[in-house]
Amino acid sequence: MVRRSTLHWVMLVVFLLAALAVAQQPASNEPQQPPSFHNDVVIRGGTILTVTHGKIENGSIYIHNGKIAAVGKTVQAPSNATVIDATGKWVMPGIIDSHSHIALDEDVNEATSPITPHMMMKDAFDYNDKMIYRALAGGVTTSLLLHGSANMIGGQAVVIKHKYGLGRDDLLFPGAPQSIKFASGENPKRVYGQRNQLPSTRMGNFEVMRQSFVEAREYMREWDDYNAKVKKGDKDAKAPKRDLKLEALADILRGKLLVQIHCYRADEFLTEMALAKEFGYKIRAFHHALEAYKVADKIAANGVAIATWPDWWGFKYEGWDGIPWNAVISMHKGVRVALKSDSEDVTRRLNQEAGKIIHYGVPEEEALKMITLNPAWIIGVDDRVGSLDVGKDADISIWNSYPLSSAALVDEVLIDGDVYFDRSLPGLGLTHYKEGQ
Amino acid sequence: MLRKFSLLLAFVFALASVSLAQTAKKPGAASESTSGTIVLRGGKLLTITHGVIENGVLVMRNGKIASVGAAGSVTIPRDAKVIDVTGMTVYPGLIDSETHLGLTEISADQMTNDLVETSEEIMPHMHVYDAFHAETALIPVARINGITNAIVAPASQDTLPGQDSFIQLDGRSAEEMLMVRDIAMPLNFTGRQRRNQGQFQNYKFPSTRMGLAAQLRQTFLDAQDYDQKLAAYEKKKSSGGDDKDKDKDKDKEKGPGGPPKRDLKLEALLPYLHGQKPVVVAAEEPNDLLTAIELANEFHLKVVLNHLGHSASLLDKVAATHFPVIVGPIYEQPKEDERYDAVFKLPAEMAKRGIKIAFASYDAHNSRNLPYAAGYAVGFGLPHDEALKAITINPAQIWGVDDRLGSLDAGKEGNVVVANGDPLDVKTDVKHVFINGVEIPLVSRQTELRDQYWK
Repeated sequence: MVRRSTLHWVMLVVFLLAALAVAQQPASNEPQQPPSFHNDVVIRGGTILTVTHGKIENGSIYIHNGKIAAVGKTVQAPSNATVIDATGKWVMPGIIDSHSHIALDEDVNEATSPITPHMMMKDAFDYNDKMIYRALAGGVTTSLLLHGSANMIGGQAVVIKHKYGLGRDDLLFPGAPQSIKFASGENPKRVYGQRNQLPSTRMGNFEVMRQSFVEAREYMREWDDYNAKVKKGDKDAKAPKRDLKLEALADILRGKLLVQIHCYRADEFLTEMALAKEFGYKIRAFHHALEAYKVADKIAANGVAIATWPDWWGFKYEGWDGIPWNAVISMHKGVRVALKSDSEDVTRRLNQEAGKIIHYGVPEEEALKMITLNPAWIIGVDDRVGSLDVGKDADISIWNSYPLSSAALVDEVLIDGDVYFDRSLPGLGLTHYKEGQ
Repeated sequence: MLRKFSLLLAFVFALASVSLAQTAKKPGAASESTSGTIVLRGGKLLTITHGVIENGVLVMRNGKIASVGAAGSVTIPRDAKVIDVTGMTVYPGLIDSETHLGLTEISADQMTNDLVETSEEIMPHMHVYDAFHAETALIPVARINGITNAIVAPASQDTLPGQDSFIQLDGRSAEEMLMVRDIAMPLNFTGRQRRNQGQFQNYKFPSTRMGLAAQLRQTFLDAQDYDQKLAAYEKKKSSGGDDKDKDKDKDKEKGPGGPPKRDLKLEALLPYLHGQKPVVVAAEEPNDLLTAIELANEFHLKVVLNHLGHSASLLDKVAATHFPVIVGPIYEQPKEDERYDAVFKLPAEMAKRGIKIAFASYDAHNSRNLPYAAGYAVGFGLPHDEALKAITINPAQIWGVDDRLGSLDAGKEGNVVVANGDPLDVKTDVKHVFINGVEIPLVSRQTELRDQYWK
């Protein structure tokens, strides 16, 4: 009875809110839909780095309805298509940053409990953060905004497209799978150790994870029992109490979430993989992963990717053995490697990071993959973005010179076939942004 | 100029013949000691001071550059170890104008950090050479990417955190690596020196910019006063007179007739008050820059400016001061309403106005990435040769070591780098590094780990 009346109340409130929203729409500050530019666009004359099928000199791309409709030396396009002249320029997919904490204001870490899988980063997403623009101006079109590393199991990430100037929901990557952030090592043990709480050691770190998965299994069993009873027509079956935290943990065990683990040390990769095996979930990627090169064959055998920096090291003990050959060694042992920023600064120049990794031995085409297709795989959107292939989203960056170098600049960035950044424009160089919005 | 050059040549020749005589006695010593002769042949020489020499020859002898020129114009000594660097680029060792090399190992572990003494704001008597850890694992990491010299500076939490040293990134001990001790003194005025952390009741003086400025001014006044007392005493002493009295009455030595009580803090400031050494004035915002410049001018300091990340509006004014600028980090974020490249393009804007600029990594672990910041600034409009100067000859001049470093010129130290391309590009790989004319093995803790696991 009580439950039903609550439901009515909720419905009423929702209805009122919706009505209010409709009434307010004309006065809303939300920008209008952008001019429909993406119906037919042709990029002509540039050197195209496709990522998946090599380089096309003096090539063209035809974009239709926000998707890549054709790529090649020459393409068929309607005569009224908007032409972007890329003669003398370089054209590549938009850069993808698989580890970012921009646009979350101060709300990166719910560092009050080591297990917080029910925190949704979308609830903190500040779509007006200028960092989204600055990364866009560095060629970034997609980012994975992750919870911080204070907790062994942190919150669930939000995947964005950098359509700066549009409304919040326009920036969410439609249909992107849900990722969840785990952490390990020094950060959780420091955060909780300083409070004299569990965990303050690596033993503690992993034990709180095990404990929470044990509880999640129990929760899943209760629901399974309940559902089975209902299915049998048991009208007296009592539903277990819903628990957001346990539900999120259950989603991990059910394989519904991509598990992204902040982890530095070789022994911890192995423990994390053993734990995943014990509880039957899959790890998508180790992030930072500075010692991946020490156990790269084992990481590769588990099908786990890494998202790392080219050359950060030494800022803490678990970063002491970081070497700039981590990416190349891991790659050679079969690990899928992405270069990520984890930094408001570096996200603006991931092209430089990819260039740097070439000097540490990664072939150019692989280096390019490390900031496009490989991070797309980590985020679970590699069927949608990360290369210039027919059918993929037209997320494209155009550069004034070879992008993987110190001095290359982004000239234009397209997302879903629309130009969002154009360096030649005055002011911020943005096409969909109005000052003071 | 020409005369100077020929004098130099004569000197080099004399040195060369001395060492020839020496090596004649010890055959085979060429590649083992600093007296050995090394010739880099066939490379593209970026001399910095006299253009680019395609297919050049560079001779190093006795730790110094003995001669530089086009193939054919330079005699290759018979006893030399000749390294064919055809297709490679040869350039002077890079100079990083602010690092914490030797002051930190693992950033998160305070026991390995000797970055800054924050107990007080005015600490000019802190000398980084007292903490400099020559055996740090970080230095080999930097030098195998072509960084051969650097300023070691204390961190910037104090207005006067201490004095910088200038190091050579090779040597058997701190003694050998510290090229110039107390080469300059940072003066930080960015607002971050305020003691306004935590709750209001925990603030202490100086918790505002007014406090910082007043404290600095008082410090320099105290130092001037100390200086005058010292001078008066010296004058009195040299004019004789009271020496006998002193012997008679030793107790009075510390009294009005004696020297002022020795004060290490004020003493440390004297060379800077006398304009003998540069004060490195760090400011970011225009208002801070103006306050800091006024203060420096009030005490006639010799100024090198530092940072200036948000002072684009004052660049004409800065140019008029003729102060050189250590620019950056150019990777700082722009202001909320600024265009994305507002900070990236600062070096270009400065160079355009004739400001002498140098780059710094402001780092320790990744000082090796110094040339890429210069390269990035090229993307945003800084001419390539200016960018190269800003990590070679400009810092050498700013730090007063251009007679020894900063270009490929005969007579300078044999700090030379050979790489497979543009020194400023991220893709470029360093192939040889020479410091003091000795080839440095391209080995670091990191290469050792690489070799251990890359099987």
